[in-house]
Amino acid sequence: MIRMKTIWKSKEMSMFLILIIISLIITLKNPVFLSVENILDMLKSNVVLGIMAMGMLVVIISGGIDVSVGAMIAAITVIVGNFLVHISNNILLSFLVGGFAGIIMGGINGLLVSMLEIPPIVVTLGTMSIINGIMLYYTNGNWINDIPNNFINFGTKTPLGIPIQIYFFFGAAILTWFILKYTLFGRGVYAIGGNLLSAQRIGYNVKRIKLLVYTLMGFLTGIAAVVHTSIMKQVDPNAFTGFELQVIGAVVLGGANVAGGMGSVWGTIVGVLLMAVINNGLILMHIPTFWQRFIIGLIIVLAVSFDVIQRKRSEKQFVRVDVE
Amino acid sequence: MQKVLLSVENISKTFPGVKALDGISFKVVEGEVHGLVGENGAGKSTLIKILAGVEQPDEGGRIVLEGKAVKFTSALDSAKAGISVIYQDFSLFPNLSVAENIAIKDQIEKKKSVVNWRLIYSMARRTIEKLGVEIDLDEQVGKLSVAKQQLVAIARALAHNAKLIIMDEPTSALSKNEVEALFKVIRSLKEEGIAVLFVSHKLEELFEITDRMTILRDGKYMGTYKKEELDEERLISLMVGRKIDIIRKEKKEFNEVVLEVKNLTKRGNFKDITFKLHKGEILGITGLVGAGRTEVAQAIFGIEPADSGEIYVEGRKVEIKSSEDAVKLGIAYVPENRQTQGLITRESIKNNIVITVLKRLVGRMLINPKKKDEIAIDWIKKLNIKPPYPDMLVQNLSGGNQQRVVIAKWLATNSKILIIDEPTNGIDVGAKSEIHNLLKELASKGMAILMISSELPEVLSLSDRILVMRKGRIVAEFEPDNVTQEMIMNAALLGNNSERINYTK
Repeated sequence: MIRMKTIWKSKEMSMFLILIIISLIITLKNPVFLSVENILDMLKSNVVLGIMAMGMLVVIISGGIDVSVGAMIAAITVIVGNFLVHISNNILLSFLVGGFAGIIMGGINGLLVSMLEIPPIVVTLGTMSIINGIMLYYTNGNWINDIPNNFINFGTKTPLGIPIQIYFFFGAAILTWFILKYTLFGRGVYAIGGNLLSAQRIGYNVKRIKLLVYTLMGFLTGIAAVVHTSIMKQVDPNAFTGFELQVIGAVVLGGANVAGGMGSVWGTIVGVLLMAVINNGLILMHIPTFWQRFIIGLIIVLAVSFDVIQRKRSEKQFVRVDVE
Repeated sequence: MQKVLLSVENISKTFPGVKALDGISFKVVEGEVHGLVGENGAGKSTLIKILAGVEQPDEGGRIVLEGKAVKFTSALDSAKAGISVIYQDFSLFPNLSVAENIAIKDQIEKKKSVVNWRLIYSMARRTIEKLGVEIDLDEQVGKLSVAKQQLVAIARALAHNAKLIIMDEPTSALSKNEVEALFKVIRSLKEEGIAVLFVSHKLEELFEITDRMTILRDGKYMGTYKKEELDEERLISLMVGRKIDIIRKEKKEFNEVVLEVKNLTKRGNFKDITFKLHKGEILGITGLVGAGRTEVAQAIFGIEPADSGEIYVEGRKVEIKSSEDAVKLGIAYVPENRQTQGLITRESIKNNIVITVLKRLVGRMLINPKKKDEIAIDWIKKLNIKPPYPDMLVQNLSGGNQQRVVIAKWLATNSKILIIDEPTNGIDVGAKSEIHNLLKELASKGMAILMISSELPEVLSLSDRILVMRKGRIVAEFEPDNVTQEMIMNAALLGNNSERINYTK
């Protein structure tokens, strides 16, 4: 029920246009970029980012933040890897274990944020450090290499010619879209991000919503961990150092407001694609990797400044007095 | 005789050390607009909170709604029973659509896990039609004007079968036209049989819209009266227990011009503003909200400089490009919203006062704490700030004393010109006259004061000259001894923009 006019004016739309322009530039330099193979490859290597960005989108709309997701996914890949190697090679079970581990970790974040009302940045900084410490003690930084064959086979499946991991990304996106648009929990997420006090007054169970927000983040992180293992066919406990910044970056690039209350699934998809295209495209253009971070940072700063400038301008129009 | 909707019986509320409400009893009947009147601190807010279920009253009293005794333990309880409070901040979600703001509560109450958007839209549409107003259901609430946001809040109450709508200072941010529109809506609520508890400071509005009024003073019940039984004077004396007269100022001669403004213009804000302000004079600028008064003040103070025109301070032509420039020229500005624009409420009185003169306090490298205390204590004494503790946090002061702190902060800069915007907005009647005395005293010591105010009695009793603005222009100039409230109102509403009427001799 959003009108075309507001879609065209939205921040999501401007990011989408930037995405198209960057894609065109890269294609001109290296036509390989637009090949089906490259596109699928690019998507596949960013599904983990995409799935987690969906969870982060919900967190950010609620007015929160979760910086423990990098540590969380590292820990869950280790848990799932060990489960597959030592306990059972059942694929469905591995997803259950991953999802469950995520729910527990995210749930702890959620409990601390909602019940004790500790600011989310403090809670998740704490849990990040705790999880990292335990992981280092437990793994000593060692990789897990002997992932069972049936799981590796599962990871190379391509139903309808599309890598199976991409389905998980779109599954996560559809799930998140439905939750945000059609469930009372989802509307509550927007409500507490927009005006916490009003949400309480109107009867939303704010504590439960916050608890669920971080639990959902954990659950999606758990699923992402299993998907990641199916792509890499091994577990590197250090693979996700600093990954939380990429996840948050993708959501912000997708037009979500870090102050809470604003953000959409389609915007976040654009944000993830933008990250993917920049990373992939710069490699295709043989540009050194450190420029990737530089350019992503630049786009985030530009996008947010543009947004702030536009808002200030519209506020100015708002206070106009009719002078005769 | 109409049916009694709400009966408050012997309600008291004790906070540690304070009895906020003391045995309050009154009745609200169906379909009436009932005024709730009292100074700040009289207990209105506490009473609203009790009716809203946010606070629980002491044992002993009871609340009877439609013949049944009710006990609210949460805001949800009272909303379910049919009491809806429209807070000053409206409690809306600026990021969500009008429709969702109006009708999502229905889905929460039905404990839906999947929301029904069709129902939300049809419910919102019906309610808006019932109110007889026009609002786009898809628009984001944060993009609406304050008046429209208020209508959304009222629509939300109406959509949830409110029988009693409590409006807390509903007109404080509205222009005259918007107030009229609101009153129309209130009358249509009345026709639906809905009672409105109208909480306000503004006496004229109370007399216009209410049927009956209940007056509170210091937590005690002072009676409920039909509007016809009261006049302003009697109402004020019930509220404050003492009579306050409007004493007009005698005409004085001023000759030393401190500030002169010539043809000041800012596109979309104001045009051709010309006036002189003298030493020791209080120049009142009045007019409707939105007439451009605050914009003129902010231009002179350099916050939003004008596009063209000239400003002279003590005969010298000056360029004011920033508030820093203005401060250097000896201009001080006390904004309307002192909580957000003028004070750091979580800091001490002392730190708030000296913030404008920190440079003077710096010794070699660090701030000299002794000097700081001296300055703060000096101004606390001069302006009679109560309680006189320099280390007390500003948030714990009353509205009137907060206003003193803002004024002190600016006077500490040794300014010669004081621009003050709505000096007594949100201040109770008692503290008001103290602020008025303070302004008069400052003027008598030679301060030139430019006072923006919407309150005509205030303008009349304080100003030596009165300018009236309408739609960005000065439309009339009066002296207080030959003008009535009606004349000012007339100019503010209908004043001719092409020529400035000068009633001064």
